[in-house]
Amino acid sequence: MLSYTPGSSLAHRLDPRTKLAAQIAFVVAAFAHTTPGGLAALTLLALGILASAHLSPYSAIYAYRFALPFLLVGPLIEGLTLGGFDLTRAFETGLASYRVLLILLVSAAYVRSTPVRESRAAIQWAVPGKPGAFLGMGTAFVFRLLPLLVADLKRAREAMNARLASERAVHERMALLAVTGVERALGRADGFSLALRARCFAWNPTLPALTFGRLDLPALALAAGLALSALY
Amino acid sequence: MSTETESVDLVDDATVKNVARAALCAALTGAFAYVSFPYPLSPAPVTLQVLGVFLAGLLLGPVWGGAAMVLYLTAGAVGAPVFAGGEAGIGSLVGPTAGYLWSYPLAAGVVGALVHGRSVGPLGAVGVPRLIGAMAVGVCVIYAVGVAGLMAVLGLSLPNAVLTGAVVFLPAEALKMAAAVGIVRSDRLTAA
Repeated sequence: MLSYTPGSSLAHRLDPRTKLAAQIAFVVAAFAHTTPGGLAALTLLALGILASAHLSPYSAIYAYRFALPFLLVGPLIEGLTLGGFDLTRAFETGLASYRVLLILLVSAAYVRSTPVRESRAAIQWAVPGKPGAFLGMGTAFVFRLLPLLVADLKRAREAMNARLASERAVHERMALLAVTGVERALGRADGFSLALRARCFAWNPTLPALTFGRLDLPALALAAGLALSALY
Repeated sequence: MSTETESVDLVDDATVKNVARAALCAALTGAFAYVSFPYPLSPAPVTLQVLGVFLAGLLLGPVWGGAAMVLYLTAGAVGAPVFAGGEAGIGSLVGPTAGYLWSYPLAAGVVGALVHGRSVGPLGAVGVPRLIGAMAVGVCVIYAVGVAGLMAVLGLSLPNAVLTGAVVFLPAEALKMAAAVGIVRSDRLTAA
């Protein structure tokens, strides 16, 4: 599974805002230049971005393996016609699928190289005021709570299997598992909100100060160039 | 960003409770993405993510339910492994499943609004036809936006997008709605 890994690569040293801007610019450029030439240039760039995060293309693709069937089925089904296989239509959809793959690879580099606290600070920089504070704190909570809830569901599933749950209908099993999951989650929510109040939960906690460094300048210029390239 | 240290602006108690519940609902939707059931009609397994969307609307109401789903998408975008198959990153938000993901805040809001109206009351007072109707509308929202997403991202034509992105999965959604009714009618959730 893809997640943040501490390191000292080029991508790790960039400001999170730079990395977000570069990703968005890459998406814009990929949608604007869905041609063989454009995508070839963007492939080189994507590989460079992955290298800057010390991430191999294979592990990045493996992390997104669940999206791959969709990307493969798209061109196949679009090419199928009553009279046979239409190569030009399949090729066009294939280019669209490939640009999505490139975008996924670039976002893998961000996920790999950016810790939660920096992402949170970037969110609160981009969305000011209480909505930003809500998004920032909520994001941090989701990171913290997700492993707990996944473990809850896993325990519930093991207990169900030990009690011959496989003999039950699928919707009954779903309901049993989900009731347990929701029950645990609501219980955790009540305890969690009590703990937050006990610790002076505030709208304006202290976050790491974000500063653009010398390295960010070329990366930001690249992002601006990609975004502008969409216009031509 | 600038850091304020002079004064502390405490979050009021009612909001703390809603923030905690929204965060838990978002995380639960993420945890449901890891639970897959074998499904005879499609080679892809069925996850319970959509159940999390229904529950956010049912338990938190339109505003906080929608906010919980916005939180889910934001956390996923910056790297929490909450999307199907433990995926994360902005790429998932513009990938093949983009339409489905973007529809979640809207769907949770619609389900919450149809079940609760303006004020969030106890779910025991809501009739089963209303629950099922609200969730059916929610499913329609998710699949309409999801199919539009497939067309925009992969360039599929409408019939192909409907076939690969909606028709195969609709029977599984009926199962999830049955499960959701079972959940809100369960004796074990009286505290909700």
